Amino acid sequence: MDVKKISKISMLLSISVVLSLIESIIPIVGIIPGIKLGLANIVVLYILYTMTLKDALYVSILRVILVGILRTGLFNITFLFSLSGALFSLIFMFLFKKITKLSIVGISIIGSIFHSIGQIIVAIILLSNINIIYYLPVLLFSSIITGIVIGLCTNNLIKLKNN
Amino acid sequence: MNKSDFILILILSTVIFIFYLFLNDKKSYAYVYYENNLIKKIDLKKDDIYKVNGYNGEVIIEVKDNKLRVKKENSSLHLCSKQGFVNNIPIVCLPNKIVIDFNNNEYDVVV
Repeated sequence: MDVKKISKISMLLSISVVLSLIESIIPIVGIIPGIKLGLANIVVLYILYTMTLKDALYVSILRVILVGILRTGLFNITFLFSLSGALFSLIFMFLFKKITKLSIVGISIIGSIFHSIGQIIVAIILLSNINIIYYLPVLLFSSIITGIVIGLCTNNLIKLKNN
Repeated sequence: MNKSDFILILILSTVIFIFYLFLNDKKSYAYVYYENNLIKKIDLKKDDIYKVNGYNGEVIIEVKDNKLRVKKENSSLHLCSKQGFVNNIPIVCLPNKIVIDFNNNEYDVVV
């Protein structure tokens, strides 16, 4: 990696960390716990479309670790939820981008859907309670909406960059 | 956004809706557990009042219109009686070590 790329990735990483922190301040209407916008996914999506999967993985994992240090602490249950969600969503976004003809909005929806699914799977395993699955439909419905919003944001970002 | 995105949204919404309906189908029995042991099977079709013994004394369960609630129990926060009438989401009353579930599964099974 050359210096230019390293500095670009670190800039994007810092943006995603800041977006994660901002997101924790924004309350979402509806007051269902666990639902958030997923602003940091803008950065991951952007990297996925303009750089490589490896770069997106770096930023995604490092972001989870940094936000863990700053807010919730490392290697506790919240940290594991974030990590599983981030990895799940990134892997499936990459796969769907390769296989299907979806635009950036569709990929963003896939990302947020699998973020929720990954978290719920880990929650079921860690808490060894299948009843968490009752929470999944609500979470998935909101995932579609937040996925569309984030997808449109990223779409505009990439358009701006190209102009 | 292109055509495939709309198809994706449509498919996902349908799947989630079916999934939601599947999770919310009406149950006909409720199972009461005390310290992970099944102590009572409740028929939800009959309106009735049941009494079971919890850790802090008696727990009174009321069945009405295919739904069930904890009417009275002895605990500090009364979380399970505040939950009200439910039909699919389990009621967990930790101070009394009572779990009322609508699926017949043992609780300490790792999935």
